[in-house]
Amino acid sequence: MSEITTISMQKALNLALADSLRADPKVLILGEDVGTLGGVFRITDGLQAEFGSQRVFDTPLAESGILGMSVGLALAGYHPIPEVQFDGFAYPAVNQIISQIGRMNYRSRGTMPMPITLRMPSFGGLRAPEMHTESLEAMLAHVPGLKVVSPADPQQAYHLLKLAASMPDPVMFLEPKPRYWQKAEVDVTNPGNLQGARIAREGKHVSLIAYGAMVARCLQVAELAAEDGIEVEVVDLRWLKPIDTATVAASVAKTRRAVVVHEAPLTAGLGGEIASRITEACFDTLKAPVERVTGFDVPYPSGDLEDEYVPNVDRILFGIQRVLTYKRLGA
Amino acid sequence: MAEISFPLPDLGEGLIEATVLEWLVAEGDQIERNTPLVEVETTKSAVELPSPQAGKVVKTFGEPGDTINVGDPLIIFEVPDDTAGIVGTVPTEEAPKRRVKLSLNLDED
Repeated sequence: MSEITTISMQKALNLALADSLRADPKVLILGEDVGTLGGVFRITDGLQAEFGSQRVFDTPLAESGILGMSVGLALAGYHPIPEVQFDGFAYPAVNQIISQIGRMNYRSRGTMPMPITLRMPSFGGLRAPEMHTESLEAMLAHVPGLKVVSPADPQQAYHLLKLAASMPDPVMFLEPKPRYWQKAEVDVTNPGNLQGARIAREGKHVSLIAYGAMVARCLQVAELAAEDGIEVEVVDLRWLKPIDTATVAASVAKTRRAVVVHEAPLTAGLGGEIASRITEACFDTLKAPVERVTGFDVPYPSGDLEDEYVPNVDRILFGIQRVLTYKRLGA
Repeated sequence: MAEISFPLPDLGEGLIEATVLEWLVAEGDQIERNTPLVEVETTKSAVELPSPQAGKVVKTFGEPGDTINVGDPLIIFEVPDDTAGIVGTVPTEEAPKRRVKLSLNLDED
């Protein structure tokens, strides 16, 4: 029996948090403005009223404190779900995230797990001021002990957040800000397979590999490419640590061409890691080197400049064209 | 719907107040981000304040000639619940425009 409802990602995340609070009395929500206000993006709207200020509470404006408190709560047996209001505000908490949350389980030989689900409104798309728009996934994925995930639509958001809130591991939950408002169907009773990557659209000529907000853009690109007779497969990576190499490699083994798309700068971005894994798995059958369509090696720009920075449909189509027309030397 | 209050910001370095010269919007107006709201005069200059956000004007504070302290309410907006508190602009779902067309000789594939 499935129960399908059409809601925004905002609402889906809100429902997932309410369900998690209901399911586990050890779940707590803390952060700047998450209580009385309900969060600047309304993700925690109404939760304090329903679950009380002991379980959903506002913190001072200090990310190192929010994450430091989460470490203490986790040690005391709670499952904190802290919110860092914007990805750019996470920098003051990097010490807590890397030195404490990432390694406490290792340091304690598994006796002190860190069941912390850190929610971060992430990526661009709002033309917001500086520090309100970042793409931190490569930095976080590089830290041993952390899991990193980013949902692309309300269905994924609802179920991945509930899953993260029930896991014993620290999960960096990167919410794609520009996707908060678009509504889509959510089957609240059927999570589907939440492990690893998923095929968001099937195709046979080229694989587009993306995550977060870029999945929707790649699906738009696939529609446009279809008009030109090119069938694009879109792989929604979902989990950025660990990366589901098997699903990505299976897609590229079929299409024999791959383009990785992300908003973060090119250099040392996740695109390089994904390209390397694809090359290792599919070297013999690849028809072209793996392309990367990414942001530029500059600070994430604010305001309207964002439109020039975030990969648009034309830049992604160019990337596809490059792998379609690549010719081997001597071929 | 939610109400958002916008207090008078510090318009210079360490200014403590400003005098309203003229309101450029009226209660009930639906305005966009960056719409000029009000002209005020400080001890340094007369400036026009642009709106920090879109919304419906619910209330304005101060008549021409009145002095408002920095940090005191200047204007209250009404906004839809789902955009309350947002920093930046809510993206619209537009059909993408493209300039690039793909070509592949599928016979060679």
